[in-house]
Amino acid sequence: MSDASNSAEKPPPPNWILHHPAYQQMKSLEIEDSAQVHAAFLVFMDLTEVRQWKEVSCVKSPELQVILLEGREKEGAPVQTVLPLPVHRSLSHKSIRHVLDRGFPMLLCAVACDSTLVYQRMTDGLVTPDPPAGPFQDLGRRQHRKRRQKP
Amino acid sequence: MDNRPSSHAVGVSLCDSAPLLWRVEDLRTVRSQGLVGALLGSLPRTPRQNVRLGRPLLLLEEEETLLRERQAAAAGYQQDGRGAELRLQVQQHQEDQQRSYEEQSVLALEDRKSALLRAMTSSHTESGAGALDGALRGRLEALDRSFTFPCSALAVQLSTARAGLSYCPEARSILRADRPIRGRDELSCDTGRYQVFTDLRGRGFYLTSAGKFGGDFLVYPGDPLRFHAHFIAICVSKNESVGLLDLLSVARLGSNVKKTVLLCSPGPDGRVLYTSLQWSGMV
Repeated sequence: MSDASNSAEKPPPPNWILHHPAYQQMKSLEIEDSAQVHAAFLVFMDLTEVRQWKEVSCVKSPELQVILLEGREKEGAPVQTVLPLPVHRSLSHKSIRHVLDRGFPMLLCAVACDSTLVYQRMTDGLVTPDPPAGPFQDLGRRQHRKRRQKP
Repeated sequence: MDNRPSSHAVGVSLCDSAPLLWRVEDLRTVRSQGLVGALLGSLPRTPRQNVRLGRPLLLLEEEETLLRERQAAAAGYQQDGRGAELRLQVQQHQEDQQRSYEEQSVLALEDRKSALLRAMTSSHTESGAGALDGALRGRLEALDRSFTFPCSALAVQLSTARAGLSYCPEARSILRADRPIRGRDELSCDTGRYQVFTDLRGRGFYLTSAGKFGGDFLVYPGDPLRFHAHFIAICVSKNESVGLLDLLSVARLGSNVKKTVLLCSPGPDGRVLYTSLQWSGMV
């Protein structure tokens, strides 16, 4: 019994990321930019473990020389492409178009040094923003009168 | 939307390099062509506020270039050599001011004397009449000797009821548009931005400058007086490198003000590529 509790409490090795099968799969795609591979792994973990996305896989983008992730938000949802990047990078509009041209809805994910993840949606064309939410109240002249009384 | 060269050319006055429009019919003409510009002038009857401004109208570089391409802009008459007439007017004005100053000095002195009289008679009702008269006379004489009316206290009248820029004969000659400006081969403004501007204008959007939002243009689905802007357009070339932090900050700003950020890049074939940035909302 003491053996069982011992094995349950055994801590993971300090370089557990390097041993993770998903990471090793990404490594096999031979991307030189190790910071981007690390970022891709963190996003992979976020999508699979935290957000419970389905069928998440990694693929290499030859034009950009980065790892892209593909997955579905839910069973049966459309496939989306995620571009993970360390936050202090820059990228060109051309690179964004390369990923958009794959034909799937695209998310850009910025990975900070503290592993904070920020997702941004990128779409081709002009997407009208959502209108402001109601209910709206016509304040009339009351609002302007209040302002004028301020010293 | 009218793309033909307008029969009515607007008179563009250049102040350094800033293109300005002064005449009301010119403002109406450019508005009907879907160009908005920005009003700069203060209104004499509603001073000290920035909400409602008057003429002149400042045009964007792109708007001026568009007018020139449509041959709808003409140079404002550059007047020179009215020196003698102006000097006479300045002299007249100075003499008027001096006269007004002298009149006001006299009135101010009388005011002070009567105020002094009121003060001394009201406070010394109990004391002897003789002592009061003596003291009063002394004070009044001192006032006569030493009183000066400061120039900063001079009341100046500004006539605001002038009949507008177009009725004054001198102004009319200044504002008459003479030589037409032909579209120049080398565009003075950034060609990338200009391509985006003409493309969006061609799709029926109205554009103004977006300095407040850190972008290049604000894109409205119709006249800005009737609609809120839908997009903040940022013009970049296809190969230009943009920092990820900048993209994040501008997308976040866009979501806070309910506008979509538009990355615009002109392509080689004249088409413009648009990518919409939206905050994902994934927490």
